[in-house]
Amino acid sequence: MAEPIGSSCLAVNGLVTGYDARNVLTGVSLSLNSGELVTVVGPNGHGKTTLLRAISGLLPVRKGSVSLNGRAISGLPAHRVAANGVIHVPQGDLLFAGMSVLENLLMGAYLDSDQVAVARRLDEVFSLLPKLAERRTQIAASLSGGERRMVGIGRGLMMKGSVMLIDEPSLGLAPIVIEQIYEVIARLKASGRTILLVEENPARVADIADRIHLLDNGAFVWSGEPAVLLQGDELLATYLGG
Amino acid sequence: MDIIGPVLVAGMTTGALYALATLGLSLVWGSLGMLNMAHGTLLTLGGYAAFTAASQLGWPVPVAVLAAAAVGGLIGALIFMLVAYPLSRRSPETFETTIMIATFGVALTLENIVLRLYGGQPLGQPLSVGGSISLGRFVLPWQNLVIIIAAIALMAATALFLARTKAGRAIRATAQNPDAAKLLGVPVARVYLQVLILSGILAGVCGVLVSSITQLSPSLGADPMLKAFIMCVVAGLGNLPGAIITSFALAIVEAVVQFLAGARWGFPALLAIVILVLIRRPGGLFGRVEMRRL
Ligand SMILES: Nc1ncnc2c1ncn2[C@@H]1O[C@H](COP(=O)(O)OP(=O)(O)O)[C@@H](O)[C@H]1O
Ligand SMILES: [Mg+2]
Repeated sequence: MAEPIGSSCLAVNGLVTGYDARNVLTGVSLSLNSGELVTVVGPNGHGKTTLLRAISGLLPVRKGSVSLNGRAISGLPAHRVAANGVIHVPQGDLLFAGMSVLENLLMGAYLDSDQVAVARRLDEVFSLLPKLAERRTQIAASLSGGERRMVGIGRGLMMKGSVMLIDEPSLGLAPIVIEQIYEVIARLKASGRTILLVEENPARVADIADRIHLLDNGAFVWSGEPAVLLQGDELLATYLGG
Repeated sequence: MDIIGPVLVAGMTTGALYALATLGLSLVWGSLGMLNMAHGTLLTLGGYAAFTAASQLGWPVPVAVLAAAAVGGLIGALIFMLVAYPLSRRSPETFETTIMIATFGVALTLENIVLRLYGGQPLGQPLSVGGSISLGRFVLPWQNLVIIIAAIALMAATALFLARTKAGRAIRATAQNPDAAKLLGVPVARVYLQVLILSGILAGVCGVLVSSITQLSPSLGADPMLKAFIMCVVAGLGNLPGAIITSFALAIVEAVVQFLAGARWGFPALLAIVILVLIRRPGGLFGRVEMRRL
């Protein structure tokens, strides 16, 4: 299901952004090579969602830059960023509540006028998330939390893109459903997708992340491989405790 | 009884007109959060555009109706580009209030231009059909039939467009969740522009239909606009089928009250219904308080 992609996919450099007079992110840098799964972990309210919204153009970048496959995308409006190939599965799904599952998925293919390709991707989404095929005519508002999350991910997969941003896929779900969602994410990674994943809990992403960035108060306080993070109990303890 | 027929015909005719006016108002209100106070003025402009095309330029009837649609759509587009878009960019938080005041200003300006150009005296709309069909003792004037059919056809076309086309789906998606639509590549500002053009087209043709059973005057659209506002409030915002059903139902109630108690009781009866509905269901009959839906 992976799209053909170049090497260093997404690069964020010295990103500063925020709301009104306040900067939430005070200089964040990260980069993703193609096929990598990188995660940003941090407590509630420290700017994870803000980071993803700035990358995808929903929030203006105040300083620094974002580039995709070597092209600058910071400063573009969100719909142009999407057209450049950034897929953003937002926190809380943001589904079209009054539309059916199928219509939600088809909205994901809004930019694609090649009907054959759209039908093929729809098949791929249904084989990855068979539940959605069963529920295709159901109105999104009437789905369970786990099903809604799957529609959110499926809708993102209907887009053509070179990098996928996923914001707290575990939010508000029961542990067993979280496991199912993470199985899906693991399969996306295995199929070669480039993914920037945001979570609150480092233990949850340790198994699948190539690299982890710990976000604290608007800046990264630690970056490295998950194995190192989990060994450094002390670091983790201070971080989670503080 | 002989009077049931005429009362029903009157109710259905005004119902069709209210529904068409309501559809245009509700589309814009539900998707942009913009109460377009100039919506009635778009009806007026449509009526005068058709009048000018048909009786001053001598264009054939269908072309005159298209002219009304074009003028409505064009002014709708200009309202978005020159007023709504800049306002929403400058201060999105206060948009819902400022846009009401701004479009009220637009309405006053445009109505005064119409007054300057055409004068205040009522004019006859040449686009009307005479005669009637009688089914036994039941008499149905052609004009009423044309209005009912035209309004229903336009509403059905709009519903099909929204339900079945990609552009229509993008309009609904944007109304339900603009941020999500942007993330999928939908140029939301262009979608809003399309919504205002569509609303303007519906208003322009609606104005022609209204003037064909009344007369042309600069305040032609004021009453349908007021009624459309009432329908939106009673039905609940953003539920288009609900708004249309409400329009027909309340128009028939209004016609019955007017027949039984006298013409001046029609509007108080509508207001009483509004108050009763809002006491029992603050979100409207079909609406949910905080959710916009198309
Ligand atoms: N729309 C907004 N307006 C103003 N402040 C906001 C807005 N959204 C988030 N914030 C603030 O920005 C900070 C970071 O929020 P967020 O990025 O959502 O954190 P996280 O996703 O890590 O939980 C928080 O202090 C939050 O209150
Ligand atoms: Mg968040």
